Amino acid sequence: MNSRFNKFIVVIVLCITLIACGSETVGSLVGGKEVEVNLVYGSEKQEWLEPLVAEYNAAENKTADGSTIVIKAEPMGSIEAINAIIGEEIQPAVWSPASSVYLPVAEARWQEKFGNELAAKTPPDLVLSPVVIAMWQPMAEALGWPNEPIGWSDISELAISEEGWTAYGYPEWGEFKFGHTHPDFSNSGLVAILAQAYAGVGKQRDLTPDDLLSPELAQFMEQVESSIIHYGSSTGFFADTMFNRGPSYLSATVMYENLVVAQETKRLTGASAQIPVVAIYPKEGTFWTNNPYVILNALWVSDTQKEAAEAFEAFLLDRPQQERAIALGFRPADPSIPLGSPLDTDHGVDPNQPQTVLEVPEADVIEGAQYLWRQAKRPVDVTLVVDTSGSMSGDKINTARNSLVEFINQLSNRDRVQIVLFNSQVSVLSPLTPLADKREELVRRVSGIIEDGDTSLYDAALEAYQQLETDGDPEHIRAVVVLSDGEDTSSVRTWQEVLQEIGANGEEEGGNSIKIFTIAFGSGADTTVLQQMAEPTGGKQFTGDPATIDDVYAEIALFF
Amino acid sequence: MQSNKLLFFGIIIIAAVIVAGMFLARSLLVNNDPIILSVLYSTEKDAWLTDISSGFAGSVNGRPIQLEFEKMGSREIYLSVLDDSRQPDLISPASSLQISILHDQTEAEAGTPVVNMIGAEDCRSVVSTPLVLVAWQERAEALGWLDNPDADMWEQLQSAVVNPQGWAAYNHPEWGFFKFGQTDPNKSNSGLMALLLITYDYFDKVTGLSTADIIADEYAQWFKEFGKFTTVGDSTGTFMQEIVAFGPSKYDMVAVYESTAIEQIENAAGRYGELRVYYPPATVLSDHPFCVLHADWVTSDKADAARQFIDYLLSQPVQEKALALGFRPANPNIALDTPDSPFNRYAANGLKTDLPAEVELPSGEVLNTLINFWNRNHR
Repeated sequence: MNSRFNKFIVVIVLCITLIACGSETVGSLVGGKEVEVNLVYGSEKQEWLEPLVAEYNAAENKTADGSTIVIKAEPMGSIEAINAIIGEEIQPAVWSPASSVYLPVAEARWQEKFGNELAAKTPPDLVLSPVVIAMWQPMAEALGWPNEPIGWSDISELAISEEGWTAYGYPEWGEFKFGHTHPDFSNSGLVAILAQAYAGVGKQRDLTPDDLLSPELAQFMEQVESSIIHYGSSTGFFADTMFNRGPSYLSATVMYENLVVAQETKRLTGASAQIPVVAIYPKEGTFWTNNPYVILNALWVSDTQKEAAEAFEAFLLDRPQQERAIALGFRPADPSIPLGSPLDTDHGVDPNQPQTVLEVPEADVIEGAQYLWRQAKRPVDVTLVVDTSGSMSGDKINTARNSLVEFINQLSNRDRVQIVLFNSQVSVLSPLTPLADKREELVRRVSGIIEDGDTSLYDAALEAYQQLETDGDPEHIRAVVVLSDGEDTSSVRTWQEVLQEIGANGEEEGGNSIKIFTIAFGSGADTTVLQQMAEPTGGKQFTGDPATIDDVYAEIALFF
Repeated sequence: MQSNKLLFFGIIIIAAVIVAGMFLARSLLVNNDPIILSVLYSTEKDAWLTDISSGFAGSVNGRPIQLEFEKMGSREIYLSVLDDSRQPDLISPASSLQISILHDQTEAEAGTPVVNMIGAEDCRSVVSTPLVLVAWQERAEALGWLDNPDADMWEQLQSAVVNPQGWAAYNHPEWGFFKFGQTDPNKSNSGLMALLLITYDYFDKVTGLSTADIIADEYAQWFKEFGKFTTVGDSTGTFMQEIVAFGPSKYDMVAVYESTAIEQIENAAGRYGELRVYYPPATVLSDHPFCVLHADWVTSDKADAARQFIDYLLSQPVQEKALALGFRPANPNIALDTPDSPFNRYAANGLKTDLPAEVELPSGEVLNTLINFWNRNHR
C-alpha cells in the first residue's frame, strides 16, 4: 500500500466518522453556516447595545438548525432608519427606534408600500428613558430649578424672548441657545415639535388636526424655532455636541434622561470637565422612549433570521443585560429591577419624575406637526464652496454636481443659497438670495460646473465666510459647506488668517456663529486642515468619495 | 511503512468504535423520545407556570412528558386555534368564556367542538382571580379613594377620565390629565371583563345584560368620551408590567386581574411606590381553564399527558405556589388567609379575601355585541 493511498483512506474514514457524529460538528470544524441579523437602532442606546452585540457574537449562539447567529448593529436616526427601510435602501431584520411615537405612522406607510403589517410580532420594549430638556445646572437654577416646575411653555417663552438670559439677570450668558434634532429623521426632534404644538395650543391631550391649522400655533412654532442653533440627525450626536462644547454653545437640548446620566457619570469620574448638567422634566408632561424591538415582517427576513432575532431579543431582556442598562442611565423594561444609582440627583436626574405625559397623537396629527414644522423651521443661509480644480475631473466632478443638486432640492424656498467655486481663482456662481427666486436656474448652473486649474482653498473658505458674515441674516442658521479634494496650492491668504477669523467669531457668538461643514473628497484631500476648519465652529468634517458623496451632502442637510 | 500501517489501522478501529457507539446510543434513545406537550397559555399565568414546570415529571408508557410553552393574549389563543396558526395540545386562556366561544363556534362550523365545556375531565379550571382596579396609592388617595368606593366606583372613574381639567380638579395640576388603562377586549380577556362590568354598572344591574341594552344610543354617548381617553394594552400580564415599568406618569389607574396586581406590588414599590387594589361593586372572575384540544395532532398519548399535567396543577404544593403568586386556588383545601398568603401580606394595599357577588356571564352573542360596541365607540 502506498502512503498516498493510506492518507486517502484515512481522510475518507474521518469524513464518515464526522458525518455520523452529526452535521453540526462538521459545520463547526469547517467554519459552519451563519445567520446574519442586521439591526438598525437609535444612537441613544449605542453605549448599551454595542458591547452586548460583541458579547453575544463572541458566544457563537446557534439557531435550531445549527447556524451561528451573527448580529450586525448600526446606529441611525430612528425615523431616518424607517425612511431608508421603506425606501428599500437598507434591508435590516430588526428596527429599534428610540420610541413607539412614530410607529403608527411607520405602520401606515409600511402597509401602503408592502401590504402587510410592519412587525412580525408585538414589539417588546428594551429599555426606557423619559424625554427631558437637558440644561446646564446654573441656567436651570436661574429658571427656578429644582423648586419651580419648568415646562415646554417656559422654554418656548425663553426662546422667543429678545432678552434671552438678560431677563433672568445673566446678560453674560447672552441669547438662549436651544437645540433639538431634525423631526423628520430623529425621534427626539419629533417629540420636541409635538411638545411645542401642545404648548402652543395649551393642551396636554387630544391634539387634533384642527389645532395644527391655527395661525397662532404656526407663529409660535416659528418663534421657538428661531432660537435653534441647528438641527441634526441623531440625538446621541447632539448630546455629544452640547457636552463637548459647553454652555456658550448650547443652553439646553431636547434629549433623553439616560444621556444626562451618562454625561454626569463622565463628569463625576473626571472624564468631562464641564459644569454639571441637569434633566428638566417638563411640567406639562413629556414622552417616554421605550426602545421597541421591531422584527420586520419583511420578505427579505428569513424564518431563521427571525428566530435569531428573537434569540437576541431574549438575551437583551434577560436580567444581567437589563441590570447593565441602569448603570448607563436607562430605566430597565423589566419591572422587577428596582431603580437605583446612578438614576439619582447626584447624576442630574430624578427617578420620581416625570409626573405626567403628553398623549401620543394619532398618525395624521404627527404628520401634520412635521409639515407645520417644515414651514416654521429656522431658515438657512448657506454658502456652498466647491473645489473645481483640475484634479476633480471624471467621476468626482460628476458625482459632486449631482449631489449638490440633491442638496439644493432638500432646502426650502425660504432658505438662501450662495455658491462659490474655486480653482486658481475664487468666483461666485450665484449670490446669497432666496431659493424661491432661482431654484431652477441654480440647478441648471450647478449641472454645468467644469473643472480646471489649481486649489485656492484658504482664499475660497475665507471669502465665503466673510461674505456670509456681512450678508447673512443672524436670525437664520448660517453655514458654509466646503468640498475639497486636495491641499491648498495657490491661495493668497494664509491658513493662520483662516483660523484667526473663524476662531474670533466663534467665541463671540457661541452656538449661533457661522458653522463650517467640510467634506474631504477622495484620498488627496487635506483632512487635517478641513477638520480644523470645521470643528471650532460647531460644524463637522466628513469624508467622502464619488460613491458616498450624495450621502454626505444628505447628512449635512439634516443640520438645517 | 510499518508505523504508517499501525496508524492507519488504529484510526480505522477508533472510527469504527465511534460510529458504532453513535448508532447504539441513537437506537437506545428512540424508545425514550419525550412526548412533547405544547401548551398555549395567557400571559398572566407566566410566572406560576415557569416556576412549577420543572417540578413536573410525568410520563406516558415510559416516555417522559416534555412541556413546550407559549404565552399570548386570551382571545389570541382561541383565534390562533380557529385560524390554525398554532397547533397546541392544551390551551389555557384566562377564562372559560373563551372556551365556550371556541366550543360553540367549532361545533357550529365542523359539527364537533374542538374542546369540551368547562367541568369535563379534560377541561378544568385550576385557579381564579377577580377583575380589580389598581392605582398608585398617592393618586388614588388624591381622588378620595381612601377605602373602596363601592357603589359608584365606575361613575367616579368615568368622571375623572373625562374631566377636561384632569388632576387639576383634584388639586394636583402637576399630574396632568387622568390616565386610565385597560386591555383591548378584542385581544385580551381582562379588557372584555372590564367592559362587561362597566356596562352592567351603567344599566345598574348584575344579571340579564341584553343586546338591546348595549345598542342603546344613550350608552354609546356616555361611553364614547370615556373610551376616547382610555389607554389600551394588548395582554394583561405585559400591560401590568408596563404600568410598573413606566410608573404613574403614564398610568394612574388600570383594570387588571387581582393576581397580576399582587405579582407586581413589590416591583412597584422598588420603582415608584405603593399600589392600591380596589374591588368593583359587582365582580367577575377569570377562572383559568386548562382544556385539551380535540384535534388530529393530539394523540391519545398527548391527551393522557395533558390530563396528567392538569392533575399536577391541581395538586396541593402547586396550588400553594399559585396562591403565593396571588391566584385563588381551585383546590378547596387551601385557605386564603394563612399568615404568609399574599392576601394577608398585602392587606394594607387593599387586598380582600371576600368578594362581592359575581355578575351573570352573558351569552356569546351578547359578548360579541359588546366587542363590536367597543370597536365602534373606542377610538
